[in-house]
Parts: sequence; C-alpha cells; structure tokens
Amino acid sequence: MKKFKGNERILHHKLPTRLFHWCLVLSFLPAGFTGLILFFRPLGDAGMNLAMQVHIVGGMVLFIACALFFLLCPGRVIAFWREITTWTDDDYAWMKISGGYIHKLLLLEYEVPPMNKLNSGQKMMGVMVLVGTILLILTGLVLYIALPLVPKEIAFYADRIHLVVGIFLFMCIVGGHIPLGIYNWPEFCSMFGDGTINARYAQEHHPLWTKHEIKETK
Amino acid sequence: MKRYSYEEKGVKISRREFLGFVGVVSAFLWTGAYTMTDLIVDRTKYIKMRTAGLYQDDEKQAKRQSHNNQSLLNMYKSLNFHPMSPLAEELFHTHYVDRSIL
Repeated sequence: MKKFKGNERILHHKLPTRLFHWCLVLSFLPAGFTGLILFFRPLGDAGMNLAMQVHIVGGMVLFIACALFFLLCPGRVIAFWREITTWTDDDYAWMKISGGYIHKLLLLEYEVPPMNKLNSGQKMMGVMVLVGTILLILTGLVLYIALPLVPKEIAFYADRIHLVVGIFLFMCIVGGHIPLGIYNWPEFCSMFGDGTINARYAQEHHPLWTKHEIKETK
Repeated sequence: MKRYSYEEKGVKISRREFLGFVGVVSAFLWTGAYTMTDLIVDRTKYIKMRTAGLYQDDEKQAKRQSHNNQSLLNMYKSLNFHPMSPLAEELFHTHYVDRSIL
C-alpha cells in the first residue's frame, strides 16, 4: 500500500480522455433530449424540424468524437476494454451491496470491497455505453445516410434498435451516471476540470488502482 | 509545471491481445460487409424482376393509356358523368401535402 504524505494529486484522466468526455456530454445529451422530442412529438412542424437538425448534428459529433478517440488513443480504448471485461470476486461482492449506496442511506453497516479505477457499477455502465453507443452510431448512420440504399428489413430493425437502445442508454445516463457522477464530486471535478484527483480520496475509493496502476511522475 | 505527483502507468498491449483485437474487428467488418452486400444485391435483383414483370404486363395490354382504360370508360358511361366533370372532381381530386419537411 502506498503511503501518501498529504494532499498529493494523481492524474486521474489525461487531456484526450477529458476532451472526449466533454464531446460525449455535448453530443449525447442534446441528441438524447431531441431523440425524446422526436419520439413523443410534443412540438409543431418547425420545432420538430429543429429537433431533428439538432439530433443529426449531435449524432455526427458523437460519431466523429468516437472515431477520433478510437484512432488516436487506442491505448485508452484497450485500457477501458480491459477494465470493463475484468470481473473478480470483489466485483460480485460490490454488486451484492450495490456499492453500499443503499446501506448508507439506511444507516446500515457495510464494507465496500476494494475497487480498481472503475467500480463494478461503472464497469457495468461501461459495457452498456460501449455496446450501446456502437449500436446507436451504426443504426443512426443507416437511418441518416443509407436509408434509400438498404432493404426495408434493415431499415426497420435499424429504427427499432436505435429507438430501444437510445431510450435505454439515455435513461441509464440521466438516471444513474449523471447523479452518481455529481454525488462523487471529486471525480466529477477531475473529469470536467484538470484531470487530477486527491491521492487520499483516490486511495479510499480506488485502492487497487492506487496500489498497482500509478507511478510517481519524473 | 505539473500539478500532480502521480500518474497512471502506460498501457502495454501484448501480441496476443493485438491479434485478437484485429481478428475480432476484421471478422465483424467482413461479416457485416458480406451481409449488407448480399442484401443489397438481392434487393436490386427483386427490383429488376419486378420492373421486368411490369413491362411484360404492359406489353400484353392492347391499350396502354390510362385515359383509354375500358373499365374507367365503362364506369363513366354507366354513372353518366365524364372526366373533369364536377362529380369526378369531387370524387377523385386529391390535394398536395408537402411531406418533404418532417
């Protein structure tokens, strides 16, 4: 176990990761909100048309950001893949107590198993985001660019997959990821700010990560 | 000046991981491209077959103009009105709706 002297900072998220996350925020949220508008159709013709334009621009930004990140930062993609596909007994123990959030609310005793950079809930979210975003981008491209070219069956299933995956992912992000991200404020500041996190905080929340995955800067 | 004392170790990718990754991506792209090509070729084939069928039907017809369609002419005659008459206008006229904007 590393012994931190005081308030050292650890670089939690590098600049490309933070920029990518900003792009996701600025593209997925507008696309998600306008997607709901397009589904429920509460506006008139002009409003619906504007919602569709925003939805398309959001989708395009999301696609370009993902493509650039996959091409320019393959190391981070591999690291993310390794993290979300590595499940240990600690993860199952974490899932059994739902990370201790409910126990804390009910003032029950609990012990959270040691986690790596991502906790088990984040890993689950990571799998959903990775698979869901790829599906959304592929089906979105079919619906926007290739609709006159593809057979009816492909267009039909692309539309259904886009709808179901989009609503599911939007609910997970708005209902789970964003509230929990704000609740864990230092992590929120790290992702949206300079990328660093307090070493003591990191040691408490990510003991395996601080033990095995970090090194002193030269 | 750096504002942090620690950072993450670099990611090392083994040869096995690299080959696995490339293999999965290639298989995914290849299968997807094959399926899409197959579907589009089938679709084009059906469109051509349908077009050929329509032309074949057309060639078999003695009269190939809609305004000379005997069924329509019989209808006009039996109901005692004619094309462009007020009754025909009332029954058959449709209005244009612009659906190009969502």
